[in-house]
Amino acid sequence: MTAVAEPRRATREASPVVAFLVRRLIGALLALFVASVLIFVGTAVLPGDAASVVLGRGATPQAVHTLDERMHLDRPLLEQYTSWLGGFVHGDLGDSSVGLAQGQKHAPVWDLISNQVKNSVILALVTALFMIPLSLGLGALAAVYAGRAVDHAVSIGSLAAIALPEFVIGSLLVGVFFVWLDVLPPVALIPPGDNPLSHPEKLVLPVATLLLASLAAGIRMVRAGMVEVLQTEYVQTARLNGLAERWVLWRYAMRNALAPSVQVLAQNLQWLIGGIIITENVFAYPGIGTTLVTAVGNRDLTLVQSVAMMIAVVYVFLNLLADLIVMLLVPKLREPA
Amino acid sequence: MTDPNHPHAPSGTETEGFRLSRGTLLRGAAGAMVGMSPLLAAACGGSGGGGSGGAASTGGSKPVRGGTIRAGFVGGGTAETLNPYAGVTPIDESRVQNLFDPLFVQNPDLTTSPGLALEMNANANATEYEVKLRPGVEFHNGKTFGAEDLIYSIRLMAKPANFASVPFVAGIDLNGLKALSPTTVRIPLKFPDADLGANFVYWNTWIVQDGETDFTKPVGTGPFMFDSFKPGEQSTFKKNPNYWVTGKPYVDALTIQSIDDNTARLNALLNGDIDAMAQLPTPQAKAHQSTGDITVLIAPSPQAMMFYMDTTQAPFTDVNVRQAIRLIADRKALVDSAINGFGTVGNDIVGKGLPFYNTDLPQREQDIDQAKSLLKKAGQENLTVLLRTSPIFPGFVEAATLLAEQAKAAGVTIQLKQVPPNSYYNPSLLYLKMAFAETQWPIPSLKFFYLQSLSAQAPYNETHWKDKSWNDLLFKAIGTTDPTAAQDTWNQVQKIQWDQGGYLNWTNADWVDGVSTKLKGLAPHPGGVLGNYLFMNAWLTA
Repeated sequence: MTAVAEPRRATREASPVVAFLVRRLIGALLALFVASVLIFVGTAVLPGDAASVVLGRGATPQAVHTLDERMHLDRPLLEQYTSWLGGFVHGDLGDSSVGLAQGQKHAPVWDLISNQVKNSVILALVTALFMIPLSLGLGALAAVYAGRAVDHAVSIGSLAAIALPEFVIGSLLVGVFFVWLDVLPPVALIPPGDNPLSHPEKLVLPVATLLLASLAAGIRMVRAGMVEVLQTEYVQTARLNGLAERWVLWRYAMRNALAPSVQVLAQNLQWLIGGIIITENVFAYPGIGTTLVTAVGNRDLTLVQSVAMMIAVVYVFLNLLADLIVMLLVPKLREPA
Repeated sequence: MTDPNHPHAPSGTETEGFRLSRGTLLRGAAGAMVGMSPLLAAACGGSGGGGSGGAASTGGSKPVRGGTIRAGFVGGGTAETLNPYAGVTPIDESRVQNLFDPLFVQNPDLTTSPGLALEMNANANATEYEVKLRPGVEFHNGKTFGAEDLIYSIRLMAKPANFASVPFVAGIDLNGLKALSPTTVRIPLKFPDADLGANFVYWNTWIVQDGETDFTKPVGTGPFMFDSFKPGEQSTFKKNPNYWVTGKPYVDALTIQSIDDNTARLNALLNGDIDAMAQLPTPQAKAHQSTGDITVLIAPSPQAMMFYMDTTQAPFTDVNVRQAIRLIADRKALVDSAINGFGTVGNDIVGKGLPFYNTDLPQREQDIDQAKSLLKKAGQENLTVLLRTSPIFPGFVEAATLLAEQAKAAGVTIQLKQVPPNSYYNPSLLYLKMAFAETQWPIPSLKFFYLQSLSAQAPYNETHWKDKSWNDLLFKAIGTTDPTAAQDTWNQVQKIQWDQGGYLNWTNADWVDGVSTKLKGLAPHPGGVLGNYLFMNAWLTA
């Protein structure tokens, strides 16, 4: 908490940006704390445990007990929680429950998932790289042509796509681009250690799936913002002053339509994390989603907890980032109250 | 199964299928999520299809050397292991069967041939064995295989942590193990066993080197050598140039790929990302049998899929009720719809095709009238029972649903309750507590199944069968050295189960896999998926 106290002192004379940030940071830490409790309790109440899963039919009460001891599952819940969270804060994700259940002395979670985390981050970044300009561009397009054929096409198309779950979109894309046209690979198997970016053709369908499943919200938001702004007096004035339409659109309309859209885009990015879990599975992409799904089945609690917590951190961070961007976009928020 | 004096050593010709059994012990339960097969759906792959028998083999042309075979399996995430004594799923088995060797190799006809052991001879009352080991076999690190390696392996198998191998060596007197020469070992037993060799066929008993501890870089004698291992992702292996089977393997390398999603695994095969996929789902197997774009490999096997009734819980305490339920089942219909015909009908006793299987018993058929009369005798007309099922294996829920339908004709109401996969085989939750449920068993030998599920000390006594005189008979059968007398005793053991037991074995399910048309030499094998993992027999054509 000392880290928080310091900026607080600075806020007295500092800009509202800092004060705002500090407030948000405290909120973020609180949110993460609540998330950690929920994750821990949520996984602790899951029926079954790694010991039983690994031992299976051979899980005699004695064998399970021995393993519980090794995994410290015999300690009070609160003690397990604090030791887990303490480790997480210090970057120690703990040992994989399954690894320990199999008799390994150490099975650091990070070693098991680092490669997958990297792969998932790359998939998310590549998707985001397309998602943001596409949302803005298509949203603006629909707004400019509001009520006309282009608008309908964009809106209906994106809404139809978002109405379908990822595994359906993924299967449809595989059907078209692999089974029918045979131009793209239907799976994204990346050899361990390889950079997914060196296999661009394998990323196309997963990225397209994620985009189709996520674009609609951003497009709708940008469109709504733009439509509203385009009708305001200052835009009309700008137009009457003879400014080029492109200049009006990007310099005046877009900038003002952006503020509410940023939040939606941030939410979209957060959503991406969930979408990735399913999409990875459909395309056998070696990412954190595939790992998480198997880990839940294996009751690898430490792994599940750590990955879930990492996801929570990303969520909260994206929210924070979105708030900051909005603040910078909307001058009013930057002025002292 | 094992004839201790089997004269043939594997010759190394490509037609010779040798190598061990499979049939993964289904332990544990795994959660299924978002359309992905659970860890252990792996463990059995019950889906089959297509009517048994005819298997699309992939032989024919002359073997080509070189290249890398890439095979896709349902992965086990971080639970994947290289320890042969703790592995449970086919992907674990695929690695073990290519890194290590067994004492005895299971042949496609379910007989066995010498592997690392040339012969195994018992004393007169089958309480002590002498094993003669194959000389001149080298481990991947150049060390010569010998007596100490076998002794070390058996002791390691017996360690409680190695739960998968413990049952196979439970009858061995560990302290009495002795190397009589560098290639001869004496194995004393705690009780007479006329066929100890049968215990050393299954992949959970394959031989490791003396002193092996953690299996992070396993050293074996098998056709492929360890190269890399990323659990839940991929593992790679290189050809063992000094393999004791002359001329094998044909390819230079082997890659085992974890691909959990069934559709993704099939897509990977169709796209040429992999050359072979284990466990092709039944509907796809049917579809691709006709298109011919891949080879569908179908291997009839003794893998048993069963309903079971707890003989100590009402109403199944009454043998009439148990027999009635068995007579209600239309097995042919169950096989045809629950697993799309990829299996043969079961006859309530397991292990069809294996040594000592009782072939005298007639096939049990559906007989509603007889079932009704037995129920009447038991005072259980209009019986209502609860059947717990789970999607842990393909075909379970389908079979349960159909059985409930079939039961109506006999006035029996079977209420279905679907429970989560992770509790179904979990002894702290539901396993061994359910009165009426389903199960799957690999059957490497009759002895294995009966000791594991029906003997007095059976750890997985699903039917809670307890019968002192039957148990004595079982151990008599195990210990009888004269083949005719042994068969006779085994027949009695099985007859009693057929007349009174709690298992309703409705099918011996096939292994069904998909293989690229470019991959040759993998022949269907009852021991396991993908021709029992015998990648050393396989080669790639252009």
